Amino acid sequence: MKAFAAALSALLVASIAHAHSASDAYLTLTAASPQRTSAVIDAQWDIALRDLDFVLGLDDDGDGNLTWGEVRKHQAAIARYAYEHLRASGDGTPCSIEPARQAIADRADGAYAALFLRIVCRGAPRKVTIDYRLFFAVDPSHRGILVFRSIQGTATSLISPDNARIELRLD
Amino acid sequence: MDASAGLRRPYIPTSAMFLRPLLSVASLVAAGLCAAEPAYVPASDAQVLQRVPAASDPAVARVAALRARLASDPGSVRLADELARAYIDFGRKVGDAHYAGYAEAVIAPWTSRPDAPPAVLVTQATLLQYRHEFAKARSLLGKALAKEPGLAQASLSLATLDMVQGDYASAASRCSEVSRHGGVRLGLACAGSLRLYTGQAAQGIALLARIDGEGARTLGPWIEGLLAEGSERLGRFDDAETHHRRALALAPGDNFLLVAYADFLLDRGRAKEVLPLLADHVESDTAYLRLALAQSALHTPDASRYRWVMAARFAAYAQRGGELFGREEARFLLALAKDPEAALAAALRNWENQREPADARIVLEAALAARQPEAAAAVVDFVARSKLEDPRIDALVRAVKGTAP
Repeated sequence: MKAFAAALSALLVASIAHAHSASDAYLTLTAASPQRTSAVIDAQWDIALRDLDFVLGLDDDGDGNLTWGEVRKHQAAIARYAYEHLRASGDGTPCSIEPARQAIADRADGAYAALFLRIVCRGAPRKVTIDYRLFFAVDPSHRGILVFRSIQGTATSLISPDNARIELRLD
Repeated sequence: MDASAGLRRPYIPTSAMFLRPLLSVASLVAAGLCAAEPAYVPASDAQVLQRVPAASDPAVARVAALRARLASDPGSVRLADELARAYIDFGRKVGDAHYAGYAEAVIAPWTSRPDAPPAVLVTQATLLQYRHEFAKARSLLGKALAKEPGLAQASLSLATLDMVQGDYASAASRCSEVSRHGGVRLGLACAGSLRLYTGQAAQGIALLARIDGEGARTLGPWIEGLLAEGSERLGRFDDAETHHRRALALAPGDNFLLVAYADFLLDRGRAKEVLPLLADHVESDTAYLRLALAQSALHTPDASRYRWVMAARFAAYAQRGGELFGREEARFLLALAKDPEAALAAALRNWENQREPADARIVLEAALAARQPEAAAAVVDFVARSKLEDPRIDALVRAVKGTAP
């Protein structure tokens, strides 16, 4: 009978596409003015609290209401998880990613953890590559929306499992 | 449509985006619709930031238990498929597409293999169907049936795709396959659903009412939902209301059923009742659209805020890469953005892929509003051929014919 119900669930699915947007995160990068010995990029990374709750279990009391207190308690875990899935390199040499503060950002579809960070690449590279793997292992339909601001203007990239490495030109 | 023309009215930039799936993401961001408010630190630990699935919810607990079992036995394709199906069901219930992604990840180790089990192919096809990738879904279901010709679930999924895409002759032969291999109840469900599309809603209702025993228990909400739909098609609105309410009593909070009832209320001029019905479901975009429509119908002070949030959510979809959300998009453009030309273009684009009665209806409504009745000719023809009965669609067809040159 379970199979019967499962079979019928196929009938139900037709009409529910896009009942809710799939998972997005927003990585906004701003190039600092060029230095002779290093390249510095400041970033804000907005990650949906709903998505973080799925992988980390943030709602401690299980009441379905994620409070600031619960998020605050898990900030270290959020940072660990997020930064495990972000790498940067400048002209092939790894850059350092320096986590800074965390806050909250509200978007049309809910509240996001806003992670502030700085990417520092030694040797003044001309090209920085961002390697982004957040959530792909648990949700291949996740997308990262990367916005890069530099003196050249603003460039936007859509990050997916098939397009997880994004090159930013600094010159 | 010229994008610069859109700048004169606040909602047009969004509609211009919908008309141009290839429009650069940068311009969406520039339009500011995808932007966040500035980041802030909440004042109090008690402040609720986000609703999430509650661990105390039995459906959430079931999914969590399956997740734990698969974690301890990660090589089990049976457990993986079961968890993927549980994610799909839960996502459907709460109206959240994230779970389709989770399901995809769970079965990914098997779907990429040439010897993927047929049941897993059917699950993967369900996910593709969910994303409106109908051709790919059909191809996977064909593969599953080639491997296991008696797989009733694959035939049922193909029948569903036929119904969604308006190929009723093919659906009928698939339903026979379903009866042959899947038993009487599945056959009744398939044949009963089909008749709601082909001018035989009274028969469809009779067939669905015959699903008994365990089938009636597990599928009560779904059957009641179909009975409501059938009753609406026959213009029996009191019956429809009874079935909508029964469906929701059996499955409280089910997004699909809530939205169907909200549409019924909006059609009956009862927008005021939609607000409390969907107040706790703002996370679901389909529910949010009905809330925005109700706010607009009631001319509330919040109406414009709802319209903007809805526009921003659509913009976020566009930003993540050209996925289709045709029916809802067209309805938004017509009723909320008040842009009949853009709504008609979206409705016709949707009609290429999806041909349920609601899809026919939005084409007819948009064509009338845009004063282009001839644009709906294919839909008028389709309604005549399928013998679809529906008092609202019948009236629209008459209006389109009456105004056609």
